[in-house]
Amino acid sequence: MMRLVTNPMILKELRQRLREGRAWLLPTLYLLVLAGTVLFAYYAAMDPEMGGGQREVQGADIGEVIFLTVVITQLVVLLLMAPVFSAGSLTIEKEQRTFAGLLTSLLTAPQIWWGKFVAALMYLLLLLFSALPLLTLAIAFGGVDPMQLFKAVGSTILVLASICTLGLWSSSTFRRSVHSTAACYGFVLVLSIVTAVVFGIMVSHWESHNAMARAEGPPAYVQAPLFLNPFYPLLSMLGGGSFGQFSYPVSSWLLFTAIGCLAAAFAMRSIQRSGEQI
Amino acid sequence: MAMIEVQSLRKIFRGGRGLDAFSLRLESNELVGLVGPNGAGKTTLIKILSTLLPPGSGVARVAGRDVRSDPRRVRAAVGYLPDVAGVYQDMRIREFLEFFADAFRLKEPNRSAAIGRALIRSGLADRPEDFVEHLSLGWKQRLLLAKTLLHDPKLLLLDEPATGLDPLARITLREQLKQLHNEGVAILISSHILSDLEDICTRIVFIADGKNIAEAPSGAAEGSTAPTIRCEMEFDGPAGVLDQFLKGAPGVRILERRERLLIIELSGGSREASTFLQKLLAAGIVITHFDARGLNLEDRYRRAFGGQPR
Repeated sequence: MMRLVTNPMILKELRQRLREGRAWLLPTLYLLVLAGTVLFAYYAAMDPEMGGGQREVQGADIGEVIFLTVVITQLVVLLLMAPVFSAGSLTIEKEQRTFAGLLTSLLTAPQIWWGKFVAALMYLLLLLFSALPLLTLAIAFGGVDPMQLFKAVGSTILVLASICTLGLWSSSTFRRSVHSTAACYGFVLVLSIVTAVVFGIMVSHWESHNAMARAEGPPAYVQAPLFLNPFYPLLSMLGGGSFGQFSYPVSSWLLFTAIGCLAAAFAMRSIQRSGEQI
Repeated sequence: MAMIEVQSLRKIFRGGRGLDAFSLRLESNELVGLVGPNGAGKTTLIKILSTLLPPGSGVARVAGRDVRSDPRRVRAAVGYLPDVAGVYQDMRIREFLEFFADAFRLKEPNRSAAIGRALIRSGLADRPEDFVEHLSLGWKQRLLLAKTLLHDPKLLLLDEPATGLDPLARITLREQLKQLHNEGVAILISSHILSDLEDICTRIVFIADGKNIAEAPSGAAEGSTAPTIRCEMEFDGPAGVLDQFLKGAPGVRILERRERLLIIELSGGSREASTFLQKLLAAGIVITHFDARGLNLEDRYRRAFGGQPR
């Protein structure tokens, strides 16, 4: 257990990542994007016409809009970044011809994998946590309680961890970073868009046959494709409002956990057998 | 003790190249050169011995441990330096060595001592805080060799370690390898630079198409099993006297003649060469240079792989 923490790969990876030029640039850009999003959400919430009515704007409404806008935006941005950090981490060792040094040391394949995984995830978590002050702004407005914030962060971490494992799997399989990163973006696209499209088709088919049951929302089998959608765990946990129909967060967590475990197992096996790639 | 025991080792790739019933035994006091043309299977053999590739069939043991069933102990006993080894450019020299010391599970105080030794061995003791990217190729190679030796391996597997090095760096590398051999480290080195191998190796093993290539007995002429020795000489005085002498000398074959230089192949070994020289001098021929060292590695290479000796 102690070796999980004292793994030399983690220190090496973090040291190298934080020395990269993008180490300070990315968080800066990330926070600028999120700050812009907060401003947009604030003015959108303040504009009564955008709410579709003439009612007085409450602080809680502003808080809710800011919160939802920021958590979704940050998940979108982090989903775009996760492949960059994970899918290149093993291929860069192959490209720089340093992989042989790792494989012929006493580091095991799981240790190499774990070091790469923690480093990729830690950087994403750095971004995620750096945006917490923006999210707590929503709590200050009201309409959002700390538990919702906790759930949003938790589900975002789970999804990012799964995407990182997919990135590492593709990184262990391919020789070149460009191919590995493209494959990982492919996974993200399939999970984000294809599942939504399949859900859209299934729900319209279901609605055409169940006009009376619309208010209850689609049943589990219709929602099933969405369980694999990276936004589903977040939206289903936040619940309420227009997302109230997404009511199977546990199924989605389990699926993402299973994806992560499978990808990790395949990646470790691939690392063990990667002697021919170097 | 045998550091490497390889018997009937096979490894076939999809492309067809690999190893085909290759055998090798390397004792703990040996520095063996592995020589063969490109695609002969040198890198495959070294990769198998360093546990990077699983063997197809046959036996491959390092320090008595099977590479397939006990790879961790094999890695603990082996230092492997690939043909094009990379370094972490964005790490400091000290950090680079610390990382590999940790990767080999060295504990204090051994860890610090090993890092200190590596810094001294690489000649980088006065610049541990420099970034690796600022080192020249020769210095990087020295750092890599020092890193490879961090865990005190009993066996060094070096795959083309002199690739891209300038002559001075090559000389330094040769000296380091000689010193390591004197310290008791067994070394298997693959290289195309035959002069380097000739200088440092205690034995040469030839490989082609993944198989052992039996070298013609040292000094045997092509198509013959009788030993011969190659003599190079320079002489003064009229060439006619020498020609006359050579006509009457048995077992002499002229290989090359240029003005005052003569290269011949003589039946027998160094004793016969010495007798031949005495007869030359007795015949009144002035010899200014006489070299009878037998075939050099380049000639042996040509013999082994089908080329003609010079």
